[in-house]
Amino acid sequence: MKTYDAIVIGSGMSGGWAAKELTELGLQTLVLEAGRPIVPEKDYAEHVPMWEMKFRGMGDRQHVSKDQPIQQQCYACDEMASKFFVNDLENPYTTPDDKPFSWIRGRQVGGRSIMWGRQVYRWSDLDFEANVREGIGVDWPIRYADIAPWYDHVERFVGISGKAEGLPQLPDGQFLKPMPLNCGEQLVADAVARAWPGERVVTIGRCAVLTEAHNGRAACHYCGPCHRGCITRSYFSSVNATLPAAQATGRLTLRPYSVVQSVLYDRKAGRATGVRIIDAQTKHAIEFKARIVFLCASTIESARILLLSGIANSSGQVGKNLMDHIMGGGAGGRIDGPADRDTIGNRPNGIYVPRFRNIGKGKSSFLRGYGFQGGAGRSDWGRGAEQTGFGAEFKKSLRKPGPWGFSFYGFGEMLPDEKNVVEIDKTKVDAWGIPVARISCAYGENEKALVHDMSITAAEMLAEAGAHDINPYTSNNPPGLVIHEMGTARMGKDPKTSVLNAHNQCWDVPNLFVTDGACMASTACQNPSITYMALTARAAAYAVDAMKRNEL
Amino acid sequence: MNRREMLLLLAGTATLPDQLLAMGRAVHKRAHAGTLRALTPHQNETVATIAELILPKTDTPGARDAGVPAFIDVMLAEWVGDEERKMFTAGLADVDTRARAMFAKDFVACSAEQQTQLLTTLDAELARLRDTKADTSKSFLGGMKWLTLTGYYTSEVGATSELNYRVVPGRYEPCYPLDQ
Repeated sequence: MKTYDAIVIGSGMSGGWAAKELTELGLQTLVLEAGRPIVPEKDYAEHVPMWEMKFRGMGDRQHVSKDQPIQQQCYACDEMASKFFVNDLENPYTTPDDKPFSWIRGRQVGGRSIMWGRQVYRWSDLDFEANVREGIGVDWPIRYADIAPWYDHVERFVGISGKAEGLPQLPDGQFLKPMPLNCGEQLVADAVARAWPGERVVTIGRCAVLTEAHNGRAACHYCGPCHRGCITRSYFSSVNATLPAAQATGRLTLRPYSVVQSVLYDRKAGRATGVRIIDAQTKHAIEFKARIVFLCASTIESARILLLSGIANSSGQVGKNLMDHIMGGGAGGRIDGPADRDTIGNRPNGIYVPRFRNIGKGKSSFLRGYGFQGGAGRSDWGRGAEQTGFGAEFKKSLRKPGPWGFSFYGFGEMLPDEKNVVEIDKTKVDAWGIPVARISCAYGENEKALVHDMSITAAEMLAEAGAHDINPYTSNNPPGLVIHEMGTARMGKDPKTSVLNAHNQCWDVPNLFVTDGACMASTACQNPSITYMALTARAAAYAVDAMKRNEL
Repeated sequence: MNRREMLLLLAGTATLPDQLLAMGRAVHKRAHAGTLRALTPHQNETVATIAELILPKTDTPGARDAGVPAFIDVMLAEWVGDEERKMFTAGLADVDTRARAMFAKDFVACSAEQQTQLLTTLDAELARLRDTKADTSKSFLGGMKWLTLTGYYTSEVGATSELNYRVVPGRYEPCYPLDQ
């Protein structure tokens, strides 16, 4: 049987990067993906006009509520993109009755990198030092200086549009030209800059969508529904960028329909020897051998695989400290944007307000902080359903855009807590006979305090901008729905309290690396994908160096 | 953006531009009208008449020409729940009850003026619900307006003749002067 140099489990955001880096560094690499292959020319559906869709984009509601009751909670699980989300009946998991968790998943080549939100923000030492400063969880074994060159490395390949702001809490990166703020957003940005100079900044989102041709991929054409795919490969995904790069080396073997059951382990040698899968189509078990294994199956899946394998857990920390971000706080309102102006095209990006709480002077009653996303726009014909009137004049009035509105919605940090766990539920199996995950996770008081504060600061910024009908809100969402799961195999400085070392290498199994969200020792409040990418590339370089030195 | 511009945009990428716009169409055939699935012919004609009163033919096509009645029939057959469907058909029956009380005829047999008068009454009742912040989710006309507007503005006729909808705008203008 062939022994690969490396096996990568998962082909999503992290797995795609592992595949690219390992193959480019010379390794014969097998990528195992649980789901089906994706052929962009056949599977992408972003240019299907509304009238070609049976339910005009609103989705096959009856069908989806039966087969995808969890997945349908994600905005992107729409009529054209629901196929990129798992069937919940085939992929069950359990939770305690009083702790719902919404696990949004994509099982196909590319994983969730196909439907991701594409927002890209670096971490700073404010984030890497937070745990040790406050005595929460474990200290990160790395600092910004360790990861900064790897942010540069991945950003140069991905192509990030964004504006440099020189903020210490949100380091600038390798940016392509930024997308513009629209005139409604400029109005709010100016008002916020006047009221909170140097403290609060409304900037354009930093996103993995190209504003200019980059590395053989075309600039965005502003069609809008990125989550349905992108035939011009203008946004970054594994399918659009990293997997083709890995393929180009001639060293990639990509095997879809490969549901990983466990990592094979040689107890005597203390090393992983390969991976055991269930073929999703035949349901037969197959084993593959490799010198090193990169586990990139996503936070909860990776914990599930480690627990099912019974390895890398001498610390007892595998599956613990599950985190997500928290959302649900913000405010909206009408603003006095120019009545004679509107936008053209669908910008796949909004505004961003970097964290401004608990940095420098001034402490809040809660720990850490949050950032805002959002944006301005004019209402469309949809407002007519809420208006009185009908007939020719009514129809004519809806031809013109309605009032300008603005919305801020916050994304906050979640603290690590050993009580939030992923375990194996021995009483239930998935469609491939593999025991499922049992997830027990709840937000704590600090997260709830963040959401409350979001509604206040969002409303006060709108008030500064002269907004009308300001509507501050808070809402309760189950964890999971921000789709930023992290923490179930944390990095650390001590093998007694962490699963991975500073290079995402299992303390207990030196040739096994975990580089997806599972590795995160805290969440910060920034969208996490670019950090997974940078950590994956860094770990791949470390692993290949170690192999060359015959240390692995 | 026209087709030629699209091709230029795609130049240099490894995709198959010829298939770009045709792709979705091949896979997702539009639902053909013709056979009613949720509504009786009389109910369908009532729906079509009200839809056309809401969004009539002007210098652009109206709700009937945009296929709104067929869209509503599909939504009632396959999208809404049983309760919502019952509420909707009860609302249609109520329109006829009122028409017979006011004009001694079914709604569709009334004159255009009579139809407008009845719809104005229903619209005023809906406005009162809104003004008093009462529950509008059970209002027949509320649902009917939403279905009509959605069916119209997301149809090819409505999106391209009444709105400036383009599948591929090709650019983003952040602050564009509206045509006066």
